[in-house]
Amino acid sequence: MLDHTPKPGAQLSSHHDGPILEIENLSISFFTRAREIPAVMDFSCTVMPGEAMGLVGESGCGKSTVALGVMQDLGTNGRIVGGSIRYKGRDLGSLSPDELRAIRGRDIAMIYQEPMASLNPAMRIGQQLIEVPMIHEGLTQAQAWARALEMVADVRLPDPERILRSYPHQLSGGQQQRIVIAMALMSKPSLLILDEPTTALDVTVEAAVVDLVKDLGRKYGTSMLFISHNLGLVLETCDRICVMYSGEAVETGAIGDVFDQMRHPYTQALFRSIPLPGADKTTRPLRAIPGNFPLPHERPQGCNFGPRCDYFLAGTCDAAPVMMTPIPDGDRHESRCLRVDAIDWAAAMPLAGEHEAPPKGDVVLAVRDLKKYYEVAANALFGGGETRVVKANESLSFAARESETLAIVGESGCGKSTLAKVLMGLETATSGEVLLDGRAIQNTPIEARDTRMVSSIQMVFQNPFDTLNPSMSVGRQIMRALEVFGIGASDADRRARMLELLDLVKLPRAFAERMPRQLSGGQKQRVGIARAFAGGARIVVADEPVSALDVSVQAAVTDLLMDIQRREKTTLLFISHDLSIVRYLSDRVLVMYLGHVVELGSTDQVFSPPYHPYTEALLSAVPIADTAVHKRHIGLEGDIPSAMNPPPGCPFQTRCRWKAEVAGGLCDTQVPPMRRIADGHEIKCHLTEEILAKMDPVITLGPDAAP
Amino acid sequence: MDTLTWAGALGTILNPVLVAGVLVFVAGFVANLAMSLVGMRPGEWVVQADHALKLRRRPVDYALLTMKYATLLCVLAGLGYIVGGLVWMGDPQRAGILGSMAARLLPVWIALLAMFALSILFKRRLGLYGKLFDSPVGMIGLGLVMFWVFCAVFADGIAPHGPIDVISQMRNAKPGSALPAPGDGQFAWYLLGGDNLGRCVFSRMIYGAFEVLKIAPLATLFAFMVGITLGLPAGYYGGRLDTGLTFLANLVLAFPVILLFYLLVTPEIVAAGIPNYLSMVMFLFPILFAAILFNSRYRTQPLRRNLIVGVCVIGGGVAYLSLISNPSDLRLPMLFRLWPEALDLFDVPGNLLIVFVSVVFVNAPTVFRIVRGLVLDIKTRDYVAAAQTRGEGPWYIMLWEILPNARGPLIVDFCLRIGYTSILLGTLGFFGLGVSPESPDWGSTINEGRRLLTIHPHPALPPALALMSLVLGLNLLADGLREESLKD
Repeated sequence: MLDHTPKPGAQLSSHHDGPILEIENLSISFFTRAREIPAVMDFSCTVMPGEAMGLVGESGCGKSTVALGVMQDLGTNGRIVGGSIRYKGRDLGSLSPDELRAIRGRDIAMIYQEPMASLNPAMRIGQQLIEVPMIHEGLTQAQAWARALEMVADVRLPDPERILRSYPHQLSGGQQQRIVIAMALMSKPSLLILDEPTTALDVTVEAAVVDLVKDLGRKYGTSMLFISHNLGLVLETCDRICVMYSGEAVETGAIGDVFDQMRHPYTQALFRSIPLPGADKTTRPLRAIPGNFPLPHERPQGCNFGPRCDYFLAGTCDAAPVMMTPIPDGDRHESRCLRVDAIDWAAAMPLAGEHEAPPKGDVVLAVRDLKKYYEVAANALFGGGETRVVKANESLSFAARESETLAIVGESGCGKSTLAKVLMGLETATSGEVLLDGRAIQNTPIEARDTRMVSSIQMVFQNPFDTLNPSMSVGRQIMRALEVFGIGASDADRRARMLELLDLVKLPRAFAERMPRQLSGGQKQRVGIARAFAGGARIVVADEPVSALDVSVQAAVTDLLMDIQRREKTTLLFISHDLSIVRYLSDRVLVMYLGHVVELGSTDQVFSPPYHPYTEALLSAVPIADTAVHKRHIGLEGDIPSAMNPPPGCPFQTRCRWKAEVAGGLCDTQVPPMRRIADGHEIKCHLTEEILAKMDPVITLGPDAAP
Repeated sequence: MDTLTWAGALGTILNPVLVAGVLVFVAGFVANLAMSLVGMRPGEWVVQADHALKLRRRPVDYALLTMKYATLLCVLAGLGYIVGGLVWMGDPQRAGILGSMAARLLPVWIALLAMFALSILFKRRLGLYGKLFDSPVGMIGLGLVMFWVFCAVFADGIAPHGPIDVISQMRNAKPGSALPAPGDGQFAWYLLGGDNLGRCVFSRMIYGAFEVLKIAPLATLFAFMVGITLGLPAGYYGGRLDTGLTFLANLVLAFPVILLFYLLVTPEIVAAGIPNYLSMVMFLFPILFAAILFNSRYRTQPLRRNLIVGVCVIGGGVAYLSLISNPSDLRLPMLFRLWPEALDLFDVPGNLLIVFVSVVFVNAPTVFRIVRGLVLDIKTRDYVAAAQTRGEGPWYIMLWEILPNARGPLIVDFCLRIGYTSILLGTLGFFGLGVSPESPDWGSTINEGRRLLTIHPHPALPPALALMSLVLGLNLLADGLREESLKD
């Protein structure tokens, strides 16, 4: 009865032999009072049994709309205006609501981006899971419960009984997403649609979830439609890929073909704008795609990518709609480009011009043994109960020089934001010192700092949609910063300076009058940068400034930051969890885990062995969009321990794979000292020099490198 | 002269039309209800080959369509009465009661037409107010509200008789009754009849609009000032301050409103000056609000700051002192008679002050809670952190970074709250509290009409309908604003 022995494809072949999903010339439009907005045009793709198809593109390109189209869930305004979607040969568009309901959840399941939003917070996990087979397969409660237990064990969650009895908020984000995956697989669907399933998760958790999805897909023979903006993730999970741009598929084919022999200018431009190993900010800078993404009702005639394309040929590319054409020697490899044969695809990327690496100056910021503890009262209202201490920062020490980029790397909860708050003066340190040009500022809250000091440490924020006040014009916001920093004698002076700042961040001066909602994410982030540099900042703390932006915009904003840094000799503290971009732009890297600095060194030192065990795992978790790169696979078990209740001894000991190599159980009892293992390279680990020296590199370049 | 009929000469044509419209509407409604109960669904929009949307109609759609056209028919009939009234302006006998009322309301129609024409013409340049004209619900709401606002503004021109003019023969006269001996140039009918003292119900309803609209928006505005000035720091700082203020707000909210009013108008309490002390505190908030607002904005430019804040404090201070003190009223405690008579710009009647104070006192805690909740949400945004990291003071952040971004829900609540306040004023009037006994405000009028309601319903119904339509209009307006502010 409950026979779940994996029989890949067995369930499918009994019904159907052909492709699981066939989308042909699909066009989807949204109808508003004013006009029809075409979201997807002439989109075709085929997913074979057991195959994983990656759908890649920037936000607004229509990839999620395709997924919703497959689910026949386009809302009240969305309509399929052409083409067909066939699931196992049946046209989904012709099914009645009842038939669709039988298919959704049972044959086609979907996993969304936000795990917390996909689970009902008022129901226990178990109840939510058993609903699926009880509705779709008529199982009894006991049978469904047994299957739920098995499924939870399958998604590698510990103690399934306890998990089934808990509520969603009692689980971490990674655990929640595993539950969502378990729920999607409860009825053994033959097609699984994943819409950015790991975007909300940390890198190491992301790596674990992606592994899980891959393994389960193989185990149950499920076909997958994997929607992502992350090319590296698609490379790791999918067999085939479809690149979308502005509502159209521009290139599709097997992963290997598209990654190594791309035949569409957009795909090429996309790969040139992401920081792959080998890119370097001084010798091989990234190339951002010029121009902006066209709005759905402002698409150009002919090729949508035409206006931003390096190979644009007037008269050819803007004449008539471009069709998908097959590429001769490829496995179902197609491209929507008229000039495929005319372009020299092997040509090297034209270099945008090299920059001199600026000389590093004096130490501007020195942090010594900084500690920041928070006291959390158990009962806030009456102040009673025991107070618990959260150790957000534990003896941090580092220094940053003029014109230097110091990257601070770590997952959520590692204390990097607390460090930023202490530097900015929003919090004061518990002990230790922070020296800015030799002046101790760790106990000076922002109200007590003088204008000069405030303007010399500024911050660039993560979320572009949140960084500007929505009800104040762009110019006003920059001018307010100038006013506060005491720059300019009159309003006219400040206005002139504000326009110069807009020039500095390469925005048109007309933007001064615009409201933030009229700007795109990248443009808002530029305004945020202009505001941070308004007072001639010496140190800029950039808190994941590009992580919420699309890849092509990321390159432009990163370059802008580097550019301003070179000109203003600013010290940049670049907080990020994206190791690719850290490797590209930073001079030195500081790796944090649970409030501790676990590794500190130059970029090359941190990215090559010997590693701290945590750095090693982190490097292995980052997806890299390059088929020539071979990564050693290092899984990281469990979640980050709570900062309320950190493990004794080494903070990383609960998840460390090298723990057995340390004699005497030292890891369980003693916090390791910060050890110098090379000039400027420090590691907080008990491992002996010999073992550290034996470590293999995680990432190796080149096709013949050992896998 | 004869008694007027409701529809006048047009009745023979328009009355059957109106009745037909109502009947068809009811039929359509019943059919729709029946079909929905059986499980029939309305039709769907289908995309055609040329990408145009077309509705594939089903029986339910036809029922809905019938209801729509029946409504249209009723509206047209109503318009017919108005047009008829305007055409026969000098001849109430032919225009009937409805037509004559429409004719008396001529200034209101002109003002409404002008306002709507101008607003629709320039709606793209008018921000949120302009966007209101994209929403039918919002337009109806605004129309209803502005109808009463214009009634209040042009009350003297519209009302045929004075609010307290008594003609004793007209006691409890039926609607449309002619005056026994109309004077020269005097309007010769009581359009909606007379009340139990022989006053014109229609005129009192129109003057009542002025009474209500004089107090409700202003009192609500003061309630918002108090609520915002306290809610911002409570939400922003949190901690003890928040706990304390929230507790106080809950305390006020937990107290029965009507009982509170009765307490406030009790002679002993008035004599002790408690309403005056309360008003002394409450009216301080607007000045405080303005002073902090401009101080935080211009703190980097001391000269301009001193000028603007100075104007605020001195101007507001004089108005404030004039408002709270009345040296000529010897019953007041000494504290309120200190301000010299020469500088006392205006006096507010004591009972009006009480009404004001009670409305602010009751509404401010609710506004406080709304503002506090909004601040708790908005203070986590990055632009607030950005303001903090560039060293802005807490009040700048609260008033210039947080408050403008909380305006959407606050504007909507403001509209709703004017409605509640109008009802509250009605309730106060109904219990005979606050306003003077002669006052034509709707609450008092309903109360007076209540006594003979079973025999003569006509004096109580018009003010009740007026109150209902004003509050309905404010609710629809709030709905429209909410709907449009969410779109972008």
